[in-house]
Amino acid sequence: MSNITLLEAVTQALAYELNHDENIVVFGEDVGKNGGVFRATAGLQKRFGERRVFDSPLAESMIAGLAIGMSAQGLKPVAEFQFMGFIYPAMNQIISHAARLRNRTRGRLHCPLVFRAPFGGGIHAPEHHSESTEALFAHIPGLQVVIPSSPKRAYGLLLAAMRNPDPVIFLEPKRIYRLVKQPVPDDGKALPLGTCFTLKTGEDVTLISWGASMHETMQAAAALEEEGISCEVIDVASIKPLDMNTILTSVEKTGRAVIIHEAAKSGGVGAEISAQIMENSLDALLAPVQRVTGYDVTMPYFELEKYYLPSVLRIKQSVLSIMA
Amino acid sequence: MTIFNLPDLGEGLPDAEIHEWFVKVGDEVTVDQPLVSMETAKAVVDVPCPEAGIIEKLYGKPGDIIQTGAPLVAFVEQKEQAAEDQGTVVGKLEENAHAADDDFIIGSASPNATRVKTTPAARLKAKRLNIDLKTISGTGENNLITLDDIQQAAAKQSIPPEGFEPLRGVRRAMLSSMVQSHQTVVPVSIFDEADVSAWMGKDDITVRIIRAICNAAKHEPALNAWFDTEHSARKCFNEVHLGLAMDNADGLFVPVIHDAQTQSDQALREQINAFKISVQDRTVPAEQLKGSTITLSNFGKFSGRFASPIIVPPSVAILAVGRLYEGVKSCDGTISSCHLLPLSLSFDHRAVTGGEATRFLGAVIESLK
Amino acid sequence: MKTVVARFEITFLQVLDEQGVLKTSLPAFAKDKHALIELYRTMVLTRAFDKKAISLQRTGKMGTYAPVNSQEAVATAMGHAMRPEDVLVPYYRDYAAQIQRGVKMSDILAYWGGDERGSDFDATSNASEDFPLCVPIASQCQHAAGVAFAFQYRNEPRVAVVCLGDGGTSEGDFYEAMNVASLWKLPVVFVVNNNQWAISVPLSNQTATQTIAQKAIAAGMNGVQVDGNDVIATRQIIGEAIEQARAGEGPTLVEAITYRLSDHTTADDATRYQPPHEVQDAETREPISRLKLFLENQHDWNEEQDQALHQAVKHEVDQAVEIYLNRKPQAIESAFDYHYAETPAALLEQRAEAMEEAKHV
Repeated sequence: MSNITLLEAVTQALAYELNHDENIVVFGEDVGKNGGVFRATAGLQKRFGERRVFDSPLAESMIAGLAIGMSAQGLKPVAEFQFMGFIYPAMNQIISHAARLRNRTRGRLHCPLVFRAPFGGGIHAPEHHSESTEALFAHIPGLQVVIPSSPKRAYGLLLAAMRNPDPVIFLEPKRIYRLVKQPVPDDGKALPLGTCFTLKTGEDVTLISWGASMHETMQAAAALEEEGISCEVIDVASIKPLDMNTILTSVEKTGRAVIIHEAAKSGGVGAEISAQIMENSLDALLAPVQRVTGYDVTMPYFELEKYYLPSVLRIKQSVLSIMA
Repeated sequence: MTIFNLPDLGEGLPDAEIHEWFVKVGDEVTVDQPLVSMETAKAVVDVPCPEAGIIEKLYGKPGDIIQTGAPLVAFVEQKEQAAEDQGTVVGKLEENAHAADDDFIIGSASPNATRVKTTPAARLKAKRLNIDLKTISGTGENNLITLDDIQQAAAKQSIPPEGFEPLRGVRRAMLSSMVQSHQTVVPVSIFDEADVSAWMGKDDITVRIIRAICNAAKHEPALNAWFDTEHSARKCFNEVHLGLAMDNADGLFVPVIHDAQTQSDQALREQINAFKISVQDRTVPAEQLKGSTITLSNFGKFSGRFASPIIVPPSVAILAVGRLYEGVKSCDGTISSCHLLPLSLSFDHRAVTGGEATRFLGAVIESLK
Repeated sequence: MKTVVARFEITFLQVLDEQGVLKTSLPAFAKDKHALIELYRTMVLTRAFDKKAISLQRTGKMGTYAPVNSQEAVATAMGHAMRPEDVLVPYYRDYAAQIQRGVKMSDILAYWGGDERGSDFDATSNASEDFPLCVPIASQCQHAAGVAFAFQYRNEPRVAVVCLGDGGTSEGDFYEAMNVASLWKLPVVFVVNNNQWAISVPLSNQTATQTIAQKAIAAGMNGVQVDGNDVIATRQIIGEAIEQARAGEGPTLVEAITYRLSDHTTADDATRYQPPHEVQDAETREPISRLKLFLENQHDWNEEQDQALHQAVKHEVDQAVEIYLNRKPQAIESAFDYHYAETPAALLEQRAEAMEEAKHV
């Protein structure tokens, strides 16, 4: 079993499911012959044929709408949006239809679909290619939002998403697409959705994050460990529905929480987590819940990108400010 | 790879000798950057780089002769630069050669930790009723503790075992104030007697005791003070607000005579009488029960000489007077009878020293002679 | 019995073929040698700029860039046919038009270099009201219709010109914009640079229509095809469309047929999906050489003049690169200062925080 990247784990999961479930179809722009602009679908068309893996015309609203119709019929489309920045034309289809078909037919029709998109910044890309607006989807009832942060979790969570009977927005943090290699057994075992993952146990403070920011968060935790501060690190992974039990159990143990996300601060998912911690575990808190996030500005072009993304230093400083 | 041949360095020269390389294999080079200096028959000439790229091969070492038009240096083909397919249409993806496995726990690191699942309203109710949520099993969905669960637990808690009667009202207040005192105060009691033979039967005992306290407080204001536990600070008073312990059927009350040091004997007696009535009637207003700086407890009406009375914070002292009795004293070997008033002074040793206390008591005894 | 209620026909124009030979009469403007040299110069400059930009990206001095190699004629024609008071709404392969309208090459480089100032075109140039490059595919079509609406509303004889690729014609925004532009007779011209590829997706996988031009019929407006590698024909057709729009006769869809002899962007690899024989064939049809042949044959354009032009153009490009490379980087405050006319208090707080943080980055 070789070590693979998060990107390759995505390919591996797609291949596994294509192989085991004939209802799975993979489509989007440039996913066929080209294997996707990040090669997430590399080799799939060759292996499974054009009927299962195919290119669509350039129209995001159409991609979403098509997937809704397909899935209502029992197919299981895994549609790709080339970048999260280009998912916006599909918002009407996703919010007005994918999210509510089950509810408005009282379960008669539903949408077992997955919308995949690379998201997040830090890769020196042109404008619109670094979006981190997961909060928009997290706000919509009926949707599920999943963000993996490692090859293993990408594999297990994507399998779970494909097997889920309801719409899943699967956001892949492109900054860490190729950053880390791990052994990921191709055993078809899914990880649970709606569940956080504890990456490190600790006593003094709970660090809560997801996506590419997990990388900086773990680095900050290691640096703080050397200064005698023991961090518990939680990968939220399922942004919706949130597994608050894991988060609250941890915060009630440590008494301190710092939430880290790349997305802009106001209305970010960190605000929701912070509110729920306050509502449920105020007695346990030794300090206010902190958020280390992107600023409330459009993601700057890459010349200024490094100032925007939450850095190891900012995370450390936030923890130190509540350790007194 | 792209091969760059040695250009004609001037007027049809057939060859040139490599003089010095300015680059090596693997270097990233830019247009016009000097590649190599070549020595011709006429001069030493720098050959500039024709294109940006990475050097893949050098066709000779210093001293070698290269023919004009023959390979001089090779560049890596642009598209071969990446070891593997770049795989993107935008940006740069960071890559790491090393593998890094990660262990993770699905869900919480403390899966057996029981988090109390309850609603905010129930949580608040439990807090108000002093009920520990961890002792309640919820009957709601997913073992959620409901408001009903709290009400029921409270009802159960408030029924004492068979034969017990729960304390209410003033008795309940006494319970909590005694507990609080016990938890914070560091009490010491000193016992002594005052010989009141000289005026016994003539003067109002209680009034004289009050006078004695006011007098002693002038000498030792440390016992006429309040202590603030939180700030470890004390406030000594000039005025004496004398708390007079009285009881009725319900329990103990301590009405306060404000500015006792300014009042005439008659005024004091009037107030004492008024308090007796209002305490009996339970009409004494709450305002009258506040603000005492030192307390007097005349407990010896029925029995008891000495006691270790409880100090009620924020005060730091209480003087308890026992049963007046006819006792015996010895003076220079001569025994005689006298009327003695037993005195018990309790003080909070966090704020008052033994010296201050004994001097205070001594002053009281003096005043009562 | 059913009767035919509507038919349509799509015309195709080529004036100069691949060998630089006239296939039909020259339009009036092309009879002027200087106009032809101007068009030639613009294409040569654009190609030199393009090569340099790619080189900058390859040497790490610029980010991802969208090349235009072999498609220079379309934007050259657009920019040449537009009047100063018209407005350009580009996608991302229109450098030739932008440069003609006064957008600095260093600004285009700055844009791809990750610097927002690259879209703050010179306020004194003809591009002062032009839109910046547009990345979300075809969304610019609607903007162009809106700009045209303003012209119509104010009775101004101005035209909006929007460009998009063949991939963009699958987007809803494209149809919606054409529909309303046609309905309201808005003074807008839609130019499609049909270079046959949308990243890796060939035209045959993009649409079932025989031509892209006929999509205009669905919107009730005119659609025409032109050889996009023939700058004379393209200039003629676009010029006609612009003047018709200006005269209040409504919008036109111009489909300029080219071939993308480059990667989609500098990070793409077209050799993965473009068939080599097709590429080789397309190389014979590229736009610059045929005009050069025509100039040489009809207007005694010689090697010396050509060298001089190439030198001059190289110099211009090098200057632009100098400006780009030596510009002072933006301070982090810039990320905050352009979201609202007046920055709200809460954002000012974050701005201060960011400035503090920046000291440690």
